[in-house]
Amino acid sequence: MAIDAKVIEEAVDRIVAEKGTEERAVIPILQAIQHEFNFLPEAALLRVCQYTKITPEQIVGVATFYSQFRLHPVGEHMIKVCVGTACHVKGAVQVYDAFRRHFNLNGDQDTDASGKYTIEKVSCLGCCTLAPVVQINGITYGHVASDKVGQVIDDYERQLVFSGDKKSKFRNADGTEIQGEIRIGLGSCCVASGSEDVKKAIEESVVDTGIRVSLKNVGCVGMCHQVPLVEVIPQNEKPTLYAHVKPEEVQHIIETHFKPAGTFDRLRNKVFRFFENMQTDTVWDGVKRYEIDHREKQVADFLDRQVPIATEYRGIINPLDIEEYKANEGFAALRKCLFELTPEQIIETIKASGLRGRGGAGFSTGQKWQFVRNNESDIKYLICNGDEGDPGAFMDRMLLESYPYRVMEGMVIAAKAVGATHGFFYIRAEYPLAVRRIRQALIYARERNLLGENIMGSGFSFDLEIYEGAGAFVCGEETALMASIEGNRGFPRIRPPFPAESGLWGKPTLINNTETFAQVSYIIRHGAEAFNSIGTSTSKGTKVFALAGKINRGGLIEVPMGITLRQIVEEIGGGVQNGKKFKAVQIGGPSGGCIPAALYDTPIDYESLINAGAMMGSGGLVVLDETDCMVDMARYFLSFTQHESCGKCTFCRVGTKRMLDILDKITSGKGTEKDLKELEYLAHWTEKGSLCNLGKTAPNPVLSTLRYFRDEYEAHIQGRCPSGKCQQLITYRINDKCIGCTKCAQKCPTDAIRYKPHQLHVIEPDKCIKCDACRQACPVDAVEIV
Amino acid sequence: MITLTIDNRTIDVQPGTMVWEAARQLGIEIPTLCYLDGADHFTSCMVCLVKDNRNGKLLPSCSTPAMQGMNLTTNDAEVHESRRASLELLLSEHVGDCEAPCQLVCPAHMNIPLMNRLIAKGDFARALEVVKRDIALPSILGRICPAPCEAGCRRKPIDEAVSICLLKRITGDEDRAQNKRYMPKLKSLSGKRVAIIGAGPAGLSAAYYLQQNGHQAVIFDQNERAGGDLMKIDADLLSPDVIDQEVAAITATGVQIHLNETIDNHRFEQFRCEYDAVVVAIGTITEGNPIFGLKTNKQGLVVDKSTYLTSEPHVFAIGNALRASKLAVRSVGQGKEVAEIIDSSFHTGEVVPRPERFNSKFGKLTEPEIQEYLKESVSAQRIKAGTEGFTREQAMAEAARCLHCDCRAPESCKLRLLSDQYGADQRRFQYDERKPARKTISPDGLVYESGKCIKCGICVRLARQHQEEFGFTFIGRGFDVQIGVPFNETLQAAFRKTARLVAKNCPTGALAMSELEEKI
Repeated sequence: MAIDAKVIEEAVDRIVAEKGTEERAVIPILQAIQHEFNFLPEAALLRVCQYTKITPEQIVGVATFYSQFRLHPVGEHMIKVCVGTACHVKGAVQVYDAFRRHFNLNGDQDTDASGKYTIEKVSCLGCCTLAPVVQINGITYGHVASDKVGQVIDDYERQLVFSGDKKSKFRNADGTEIQGEIRIGLGSCCVASGSEDVKKAIEESVVDTGIRVSLKNVGCVGMCHQVPLVEVIPQNEKPTLYAHVKPEEVQHIIETHFKPAGTFDRLRNKVFRFFENMQTDTVWDGVKRYEIDHREKQVADFLDRQVPIATEYRGIINPLDIEEYKANEGFAALRKCLFELTPEQIIETIKASGLRGRGGAGFSTGQKWQFVRNNESDIKYLICNGDEGDPGAFMDRMLLESYPYRVMEGMVIAAKAVGATHGFFYIRAEYPLAVRRIRQALIYARERNLLGENIMGSGFSFDLEIYEGAGAFVCGEETALMASIEGNRGFPRIRPPFPAESGLWGKPTLINNTETFAQVSYIIRHGAEAFNSIGTSTSKGTKVFALAGKINRGGLIEVPMGITLRQIVEEIGGGVQNGKKFKAVQIGGPSGGCIPAALYDTPIDYESLINAGAMMGSGGLVVLDETDCMVDMARYFLSFTQHESCGKCTFCRVGTKRMLDILDKITSGKGTEKDLKELEYLAHWTEKGSLCNLGKTAPNPVLSTLRYFRDEYEAHIQGRCPSGKCQQLITYRINDKCIGCTKCAQKCPTDAIRYKPHQLHVIEPDKCIKCDACRQACPVDAVEIV
Repeated sequence: MITLTIDNRTIDVQPGTMVWEAARQLGIEIPTLCYLDGADHFTSCMVCLVKDNRNGKLLPSCSTPAMQGMNLTTNDAEVHESRRASLELLLSEHVGDCEAPCQLVCPAHMNIPLMNRLIAKGDFARALEVVKRDIALPSILGRICPAPCEAGCRRKPIDEAVSICLLKRITGDEDRAQNKRYMPKLKSLSGKRVAIIGAGPAGLSAAYYLQQNGHQAVIFDQNERAGGDLMKIDADLLSPDVIDQEVAAITATGVQIHLNETIDNHRFEQFRCEYDAVVVAIGTITEGNPIFGLKTNKQGLVVDKSTYLTSEPHVFAIGNALRASKLAVRSVGQGKEVAEIIDSSFHTGEVVPRPERFNSKFGKLTEPEIQEYLKESVSAQRIKAGTEGFTREQAMAEAARCLHCDCRAPESCKLRLLSDQYGADQRRFQYDERKPARKTISPDGLVYESGKCIKCGICVRLARQHQEEFGFTFIGRGFDVQIGVPFNETLQAAFRKTARLVAKNCPTGALAMSELEEKI
């Protein structure tokens, strides 16, 4: 369907008037156009070139670089199948294939025949604890299995009908007569798991029952394995935390704790004072949800080992409530920096704290600040790198969503220290909630003079703007990130010159990771010693990790440096899921590596991890069990980096592709010893010869698995996948345990199972597409992989 | 000033000077593909890596600023290996032929496509020049050659191969009809003399090219006419007059032919004393043939396959003497090759194989690629010649059927040059299906073959620098990135001002002007 030329003209003119005509406006303009038309019509781009300084070369180069942009119309609804690490190890590929089968998509097709649905893989939605995750137009489905695809679509269609008249009945509770407080986690995991609906249900219940409670949104508490979380704090009573709450259960919870207003007699008969009595399985029967108590052992284990610095006051403060942030020591550090400390003193404190960049490389933060400070310039920029793109990592997202003021405070302090005049929040496109929060936080902060001209009357002026990324992992690399802000393709460039000397538009620029900024205010408030007394000799303080994969209690954790992997996995994470054997931890994402069980006691610090062949990376920590194939893991990460390579330098552009080709060959059982040698050769040269750190570290997952799991590579060369993961090397079979229930046959999408009720079923290998649906459907584990 | 050390030599340069430039000032050439003076650096090809001796890191020299105290190595084994690795990666996705398949198949390695293009333009004289670089006897071979080249012709699976053999024949025949026949450029005499035993296709060919290089070639043959086995061919197919006229063109260069001379072992030993080299081209070895005490095996004389050197120093052997064959063109090719080897041995004192040049190859054309290649050709059917061969008009029309499979930049292509220099193997990393070959031809003569593009972006930068309205841009990213015209505009629209400039500066044959003929 062609879009009317007039409509395009009108829209483009409006967008250009708003975003400006400079080269740097190109990405925001393209984002706005896509927002308008759901893709980028060529006529719109041509018009942009006609009325701005943006050239055809620039606009086409940029529009085709970032994966967010679409040059062709898509279906009405976008189905995004997350293929992040956690989702990958839990079968995202099978889910993706199942959607394709559901819509009969062949070859390159990605939109179904009716033009209603378009399916795409996305790198990581940051809901790792709900893996595998699928998002359809903002509605997120967790724990999707390949046989649930039909249900997901049905449910989504039902949601479509409802959403129109289900208006949000937001009603702020009257604060004068507080009976208590209800806190709802509103991090992305919580939202994805349905906390918005729970919140709505609470609001409705509050309206219906007339209970006067204060309803409060809090940021992520990190216990993403329990979402959605609702915490109820009746006045003068101890708080109760509910996990896995469903909207229909909300009324029960409220009635349990609070006395309804007099008119609701029907509730009077209920015993509500001693809520414990109500929390029995007989009330909420057969569903996966339970009350958690802070005193309960597993919760204590999850929380007690952690040291919240970046995540201070987790689960307590409302992300956007600036007064509450202030009440909890917020902006105290900023005040100190603006009125008591000189820039040199700030930098000295940060240096003394031993804080190192939390983006992965671990460069001394104080040093970096010093460099920027030392470079004389009338204009200096500051950038918060929130382009977190590692599949399996969602620390930055959580920090931006839950602690926007803390990150902002760190940035303003840094600005004061280095003499920056203008700052940017560079936030990944896939994090819309973080963008909304920060946008609102900026408004509130400006209203209170915590940003802008003459901050707090100190004479120091500094303001921040948001720059939304457009979908390119490489833009996490600082020079590529700056190229992106300048309105170019996200090509990294050679360093030197470093950004501290010549960064954004050639001006000295400070770039730090989100988490780094989030730790600044604590250091200023508590002093360098409070921070550097935590950790190891070279790595100080704490590190936030996204703990996911085959683990009992996944989530966002902040741990002291020096803690061992074993402590994280066994004590905080509660060990490997389903009683399986621990095999390895993938740490550092696509730049990192796999640390095997033999090195379980490796402490978390920059150097130990590098010695073990991994790296801190941004902090993704994916636990792998005995059913995970290490060659497949290497292939998975390499396919990620290969896909995300910017394509500038030969070693990364072609080298990663050829390594992937070889891994494809090996995982399909066609590899040879010579291929293995060539793989090592390419890994060596890609590491040595690539221009930026994306390419230089891309071989790490291969090198580390070759180092610790070479036997698995050898096995593949001999035609075996010991973990039963690599599709082309495995066959599905039904063993004698089969009770003849036909469930598997009903689920099989290709009718590959011959069955007669109450008799042993048989899988026909020729028809089997190895989608795993039968194995998941079997109630007695009779389907096995051989 | 900044002082740094490159390859143990110290130099002072202005701040801001790149390492590559500093090395150049020292007279050290560092190879590069993506760097162009005056068009800024992009750091993409990574062929210019040099080693920082302080930490062992490899740095792209084109864009690394020289810094005080730097100590660099530009050409040790590791740096060499890095260059080979980057070249092999670039080659693994390079879809283009340096030389056309027909030429690679031809035992004489004749530049067939160039001959075709010259004939198509009606320039038969220059076409003959091109033929005679490799084939001393075009009129003869044009009549008897089984034309292995035509089996290799890319046109063959489309309809029929280009009639290469007959086209070659007409260049020779046209020349024979001239009063003033073609005379190659002759180098001044070197004083070296070479005895050639046998006036068959191999011996004649060797003599012709030795003479051109300034070495006096003296042929001895036991028969009363020159031509060897050619004389046995049915006169209807190959008349003795044709042979005589082709031989005349060879003797016209100064080659001496002594007929009716039987060479026995004694004469042979004399030749070894009197001449600087001896070439044995005596035809198939049969019982009773003199073999001058040279080593033989079942097939004939034993030679080093890459130098044609026999078991005796300064004695070479070529043609059917090595192995009986009906392929005269092979003998002719060997004659040319041995002439080159002997020539080089006269200069260097060593007998070494001819340097084998790197050749990028990508194999068969797919159906869509055939359409791409037909853009530079005509869709006409193969023309049937009469018994007298083609008329000029027929030849011109037939030659136009050639697909121009050869690269336009076989000499200037830096990728080829460096691949030769660093011994790169194109097939090493070809693990995946290749990308499609494409040709885009602009009415103003610019040709773009995206398969040959190495994504260095020189054209993108030049177009931007000259403020082209469209220019070229990067489309997509990563391995699949393409360089092309924004908004699917035409190639002509892309380079309104800079077509010649980008063609000139493209490091490969991806962008070139259609009329470019580097081999003329």
